[in-house]
Amino acid sequence: MGFAENIKETIKIQIQKNLNRDYIEKILGIVGSWPVLPVYGMTFASKSDKYLNIATIKVIKKAYCKKYPVAYGSIFLPYELLHSLDLVPFLPEVMAGFTAGIGIADKTLKEASARWYTPDLCTFHRSASGAVELNLFPLPQFLICSSLACDAAQKTFYIDAKKYNIEDNFYLIDVPYKKTTDSIKYLASQLEDISASISKKMGKKVDIGKFKNTIRLSNEFRYWAAKVNDIRKELLIYPKNFNGLSFILPFHALAGTKDAVVIYKNIYFELKDFLEIQKGSSGNKKSGSNIKIKQDIGKTKRILWLHLKPYYKNNIFEILESNNYRVVFEEISQVYWPELDEEKPFESLALKMLSHPLNGSVENRMAAILEMVRNYRIDGVILFSHWGCRHSNGSARIIKDTLKNNNVSTLILDGDCLNKNNSSEGQILTRLQGFMEIINSKQS
Amino acid sequence: MTEPGGQIRNISNHFSNSFKTTKDERFRIGWLCTYTPEEIILSAGFTPTRILGEDRVNKAEGYFPINFCPYLKSSWESILNDINKLSAIVFANSCDGMRRAYDICKNYKPQTPSFMLDVPKINTGASLAHFSNNLSELAGFLEELKKSKIEFVTLKKSIELVNKKRTLLKKLNYYYSEFDGLVDDPDFFDILKLSMISEPEIFIQDLCAYLEKIAEESATIEIAGAGENNGFPPRIMIIGNFINESKLWESFKELNCKIAVTDLCNSSRYYEGLVEDKGNASKNNTIENLLVTVAARYLNKPQCMRMANLGIKLKEVQENITNNNIKGVIFFSMKFCDNTLLFYPLLRQHLGETGVQSLFLEIEHNNFSEGQVKTRIQAFLEIL
Repeated sequence: MGFAENIKETIKIQIQKNLNRDYIEKILGIVGSWPVLPVYGMTFASKSDKYLNIATIKVIKKAYCKKYPVAYGSIFLPYELLHSLDLVPFLPEVMAGFTAGIGIADKTLKEASARWYTPDLCTFHRSASGAVELNLFPLPQFLICSSLACDAAQKTFYIDAKKYNIEDNFYLIDVPYKKTTDSIKYLASQLEDISASISKKMGKKVDIGKFKNTIRLSNEFRYWAAKVNDIRKELLIYPKNFNGLSFILPFHALAGTKDAVVIYKNIYFELKDFLEIQKGSSGNKKSGSNIKIKQDIGKTKRILWLHLKPYYKNNIFEILESNNYRVVFEEISQVYWPELDEEKPFESLALKMLSHPLNGSVENRMAAILEMVRNYRIDGVILFSHWGCRHSNGSARIIKDTLKNNNVSTLILDGDCLNKNNSSEGQILTRLQGFMEIINSKQS
Repeated sequence: MTEPGGQIRNISNHFSNSFKTTKDERFRIGWLCTYTPEEIILSAGFTPTRILGEDRVNKAEGYFPINFCPYLKSSWESILNDINKLSAIVFANSCDGMRRAYDICKNYKPQTPSFMLDVPKINTGASLAHFSNNLSELAGFLEELKKSKIEFVTLKKSIELVNKKRTLLKKLNYYYSEFDGLVDDPDFFDILKLSMISEPEIFIQDLCAYLEKIAEESATIEIAGAGENNGFPPRIMIIGNFINESKLWESFKELNCKIAVTDLCNSSRYYEGLVEDKGNASKNNTIENLLVTVAARYLNKPQCMRMANLGIKLKEVQENITNNNIKGVIFFSMKFCDNTLLFYPLLRQHLGETGVQSLFLEIEHNNFSEGQVKTRIQAFLEIL
């Protein structure tokens, strides 16, 4: 293990031993300070990871430092709204992923069980709830969630609001089932009301100028994200440790900030370099130095990943790559919304939410999947069937049958994104091997 | 209509007509969630019938993951087996499971038209208007199916009919909860079940006759009441989702407690609250105004845990506890129901603060473990 990895491992162990909010704030204060943060960024093999981790530390540190108003947000909120209100977003579901990453999910899940959250519930929400009960998360001033895409967040957020005694600052955005003129209007009015209510409570008015600027930045981020996605239609060799499933926080929570633009612009240029290397047209020797192009790119199998991944240490992606399989895209990275109109910010954000493939009928998700299958020339699809995720897993049969009708093999891979004790490594390996055999035999 | 599964035998003497079918069996609409407006279905010339999910899961298992709502799986089994021979099915956007069940039905049973009714999770002026629009869409779906328009007068009459059913069921609940031994636990829930599957006009007639009879009997029985217990068994509240287990209610007959309040998908959340015309609908004589009153009833009825503001639900529960001298709360949930299961930690904390004991029981749908559940309830009652 290198020096940087040793430091990161030490930090993890120290957090495990000092499981409290103040200690986490202290660590973030150190890692997130200058010049530590840029040095920390340099420990990552790729620019993409560097900017991802710097931006992540920055926003989490801001949430913990007690200087700014914090809003808990569910994952598919229109975060442009929060940024226009100068609220620092904190995403319990995403942070739950971190609990697995830093090895404290066992403790947070145990705490949730002790508080009567049954083990049948999704571990993202259970772990987040356990972390709240253990007082690990920063104190929020507001809690905002939407009914997109699942039931659990709406309940756990209310419970959190009750714990913090701020039930009046709990907001649920009720996202209609279908995208119609009436539903856009209904949703836009909710966003406007929430914006007005939060502003009033913060003692200020809605700053339309700032809102427009946030929308512009969101559009700029969207532009670069779409360009990244375009490059990925061809790209088969990636920076070391690159995984599209790691970019949930900037893709969703930082929409409307300069940081999101910086991240995706850098990802784009880095992946562009890799594409040039892949095509054999680049004279850039420096970026080639970390790349060991062993596989025969022409025979690489292209995989589309649905849902999320295990956030504890696992070897799923190593297994795939060692067999010349590459996850070329994941549904969580799709730019699914049209460009926002800064003259109609609430309506635009309403349209953004209603455009999400996970909203409404599975037909929406299926249409998005089929488009991705076409665009990325997919050989096989893996749906990670995360324990307790009923909105996603309930669609598995339809997804599998529809893809079969389109001559695409699907693997429903049972597992748990956070709880490694609820996932069988051996079984996953067997299922992956079987899946790869099917695709290989189809191709031959 | 055939007697469902032989499970409603005890009341069949009083409700023999309710088991019969007088209307055209081709025009039956299945529904699953209590946010589905029966009055609109009736006004379109259909008989609404709740899909009870009493079939053992066999073929349906292959369509859903293991850890999925067992009620929906059983319901899908019924749909696949064409048990109810339905013209169409109305789903409500009540939860993740229901959305997926609708998708499955649409994909794999396209010959039975299905409709998804979007029900808001918040109760505001805007959500009321939105829900009214959605009800209008439902009305349009039913009109298209029946090839005839819903008239104002027909909708008004249907509202009155369903309101009458609700009023009578509330009266039944009064006799059930206030008089010891007047209405058996299994009988109460069987009558409720029947109310959801039989033709309302006939059911209302049978229920009226039944209520007259028990009203006479009640004159000779002391009210258990909401006052001091004084030797009466402890009064408990039951709260949960769709608990349709006959064996469970049979078990309660042998337990030393009085179920004074039931807050389930197949009890008060079905019949409490009337559609009220504040005067505007009558004046304007439009279906749109009537739909607004219908929408208001459903958004204001006793909340399902799917609704956003759990604080309102806690308040409802507390009022029931206070007004009915409740000594303990039994929380029943089918497995894998996120909305219900995630309410329990909050409820338990609240009850703990107010000194009310609670028991959490997760039960298997259509696979009820009688002995185990009975033992746990007995132990709980001993604490009370």
